[in-house]
Amino acid sequence: MSSAARPKTFASGAELVWRWQRILWWIFIVNLVLAHFAVRGLVDRVSPALIHSFASQRLVNGFDLAALMELAVQPDSPLETPGPVVFHYSVIFAIFMIFSTGGILATYFFDQKPTTTAFFEACGDHFWRFVRLLVYMALAFIPIGILIAICSAIHASFDENLNSPYPAVYFAGASSLVILLLLMVLRLWFDMAQVIAVADDETRMHRALRRAASLLTHNFGSLFWLYLRISLLAWIFFGLGMYLWMYGLSPLSITTAFLVTQLMLIFWIATRLWQRASEALWYRQYQAAIVPEPTDSPSPASAPITYSTAMN
Amino acid sequence: MRSLFTILLAATLLLFAGGTSTVSEPQSAAPNTPAPEAPGSISNSPLSTRVVAYTIDAKLNTTSHSLDATETLVYKNLTGQPQQSFPFHLYLNAFQPQSTMMTEIRMSGARGVGADSGWNEKNRGSITVTKLEVEGAGDLTDKMQFIQPDDHNTKDRTVFQVILPKPVAPGASVEIHMTFHDQLPEVLYRTGYKRDFYMIGQWFPKVGVWWKDAWNCHQFHADSEFFADFGTFDINLTVPQNEILGAGGDLVSSVNNPDGTKSAKFHADDIHDFSWTASPDYTVVEDSWTGSAGPVKLHVLMSPGHMASAPRYVQALKGTLAWYGKNIGPYPYDRVTVVDPPHGAFNAGGMEYPTLITAGTAWYMPKGVLAPEDVVNHEFGHQYWYGMVATNEFEDAWLDEGINSYVEAKSMAALYGENTSMINFPFATASEAQFLRIEYISQPDTDPITRFSWKFISDNAYGGVTYGKTGTVLLTLEKVVGEQTMIAALHQYFLRYRFKHPSGEDFLKTIEDVSHEDLTWYFDQAVYGTNVLDYDIWDAHSDRLNWWKKAVSRNRSTDDIYRTYVTVHRKGDFVFPVDVVVKFEDGSTATEHWDGRDRWVRYIYDRHSKVASAQIDPGNKVMLDRNFFNNSYVQDGDYRAVHKLENMWVFASEWISQVLAWVS
Repeated sequence: MSSAARPKTFASGAELVWRWQRILWWIFIVNLVLAHFAVRGLVDRVSPALIHSFASQRLVNGFDLAALMELAVQPDSPLETPGPVVFHYSVIFAIFMIFSTGGILATYFFDQKPTTTAFFEACGDHFWRFVRLLVYMALAFIPIGILIAICSAIHASFDENLNSPYPAVYFAGASSLVILLLLMVLRLWFDMAQVIAVADDETRMHRALRRAASLLTHNFGSLFWLYLRISLLAWIFFGLGMYLWMYGLSPLSITTAFLVTQLMLIFWIATRLWQRASEALWYRQYQAAIVPEPTDSPSPASAPITYSTAMN
Repeated sequence: MRSLFTILLAATLLLFAGGTSTVSEPQSAAPNTPAPEAPGSISNSPLSTRVVAYTIDAKLNTTSHSLDATETLVYKNLTGQPQQSFPFHLYLNAFQPQSTMMTEIRMSGARGVGADSGWNEKNRGSITVTKLEVEGAGDLTDKMQFIQPDDHNTKDRTVFQVILPKPVAPGASVEIHMTFHDQLPEVLYRTGYKRDFYMIGQWFPKVGVWWKDAWNCHQFHADSEFFADFGTFDINLTVPQNEILGAGGDLVSSVNNPDGTKSAKFHADDIHDFSWTASPDYTVVEDSWTGSAGPVKLHVLMSPGHMASAPRYVQALKGTLAWYGKNIGPYPYDRVTVVDPPHGAFNAGGMEYPTLITAGTAWYMPKGVLAPEDVVNHEFGHQYWYGMVATNEFEDAWLDEGINSYVEAKSMAALYGENTSMINFPFATASEAQFLRIEYISQPDTDPITRFSWKFISDNAYGGVTYGKTGTVLLTLEKVVGEQTMIAALHQYFLRYRFKHPSGEDFLKTIEDVSHEDLTWYFDQAVYGTNVLDYDIWDAHSDRLNWWKKAVSRNRSTDDIYRTYVTVHRKGDFVFPVDVVVKFEDGSTATEHWDGRDRWVRYIYDRHSKVASAQIDPGNKVMLDRNFFNNSYVQDGDYRAVHKLENMWVFASEWISQVLAWVS
């Protein structure tokens, strides 16, 4: 695609997210509700110990870590590790996102108000395709896993053999950055494969991956820069939010802290959707640039969704 | 030694002004310079009863990480009876897979070494006495015999004894010459090497202590430290010329040898152990501090990448010296050396030797984590509780680690804030005293404080009871005798027993003497027993006295009389008198004092007001109470703590979901 034809996907992607912000709220609420269920048991167990006790003020007026540890080391500790439960709910959320992605991408790609039925049809149509993509992704993680193991070994060697701790620290930082960038490239590749699957109704995921790889190879700069810019914004906002939460808010600002953390999460989800919208937009404009406009009845590359009434 | 649990925690901005620190680049000259004699010089008037005089000439081989040395020990028989057999510690032999120490580590871990840790040949250490001669008795090498007084593990070679042809008369001295070879382990546990760093402790054959009418010479255990007699040390160390040395003595001379080595002579009086360190990579920070006993030189040997912590070490050391000087007693030595182990040698850190301590930090240490300050405070504290008040660390670990932990909590609070002496961030805080308490309540009832250190049910119990429970017992004792009395008792204990080997009874007796109270009831439970202290508010509610009639007013209780019931329950077996404060809605209060002897007590009040809250031990002075959360009942629930925690957990859960969704 020539630079003249390069679409302004960065800003347009954000507009798409804003236009279809119902998706954002929907994902946010599902995430919040599942997280709420994940920690419900823990909250129920800890509440009797805290609500009617003066000792809980150590957690209210400031945050005394020893108070939390005291709860944790009691023989009948209410602070049983919530790890497994949280993980189970996170898996449910991940499945929900795999399921939703078809509908989300269809909405962004076609940029038309879908019916609820059409949205969920798109979700259902692509669910198993994306599950197959997940399997491919697991395979793609193997070389990255090997790279992580190699980097860990090199780091351990530096740490063990060099008198200064800094070479190992710098290596860990640099290798982590490289691995993160690789993971982002991998994510971008699979994102594009999902867009192709939705836009072109591609049923064979290995073909979608091959085409996405080709696209990525030939347009790596523009696509990755698009993805990276949004990621950087996400991280910057997240960092600022954490800083505000930890250093800016009074210990007694519990409601404000809740709002700040949820705002951070909303922005995080929004940036992720922004990436998906931008990718879909990029692909739509890419198609427009390389496929001659049909002279007769125009139709999308595939039209799996009927748009008639608003999604409820 | 500081437990790793607390070493991993601590530190804030440093508050104490002091002398200007100077930083020297690594140099081949040793950092210590010959020191002027301190007031009341020990060479003129000994501070201790000098039983031993060690003269050791050692040469370090940095290629094989080994030492070859000769040792002359002059032992003065002050036991009051003839002595014919002499036991010696060979601590380095513990670094062998079948030793008692390693067997115990395999059983339950220790000092950060996990029970499931595999054996690495680099961790093998040994000490071999190749020759032993006794002045006037000749070569007795073949008379040496390994003994295992604690567990009869014949594979353990950490103690040997030699029987002389004839006894040494009371008051007489015996001169023993030994030649020995040390193979140093890679740092696993306190001592050894890491790359070109050497921390050499427990490295020479050390004679046992005649104590309580018997030789006291225990094997080296996973959870125990050391015990030795006071005396003099003349140590000549030969090391490569590029090595920077630090040692628990004053540098007398340093000469370069033609073979590329240098020989440095150190001398120390009135200490009971000698350790040293060498590394070409140290950056030397020198400073000084002046106390009531005269100037003290501070040598801080910083490892690469750790320089940011150097001012924190120095300020913590000065603050601690000042606190001890003011509250406990004068520091009589003219030097303190702080060794900062390099990365990868963490287990050499957090250790005490006479006038030399090892600290611990990392390339990045946030100021809100007071770990560097805490470890220096703790290890320096051992100069008093171990160094001078030289208790038996094998049998009475609580007397050094426990008392030291208590004083650490007090001094860290004084230096860095009551609630911020371990963690000090705007978003989270923690105090040393509370961390001690957490250590205790995680393992409150398996072992009494007085148990021999290697006989605890587990390594965790050793740490939790020896450090945490003892510290908490003494903090709670403040509630009984008063804080000032406790400090006065420690001061008196120090004055009575410095340069001596007191027992637990001596310590407890001193507290009773100073407080003028019979504290048997407390010591029996807290020190010798395993009872758990836990009080809770069983019930606190109000009921209208004429409950069968219609209430006069719905909103105001002033017209009705309410009967309030407050039931206080002693959940644990530990009996301790407590105060109970009951508050009513009209702002009035009632304070009760319960001796805690029965299992529960009920207080009944008839007032025009309902109960608002009931609280046991307001102020949480009874630190031994294992659960502060059940000490109170507030009628109007406060959900803020729950909401705060819930918010954190929900956010974490949401975040984990997002990450998982991203990778799938």
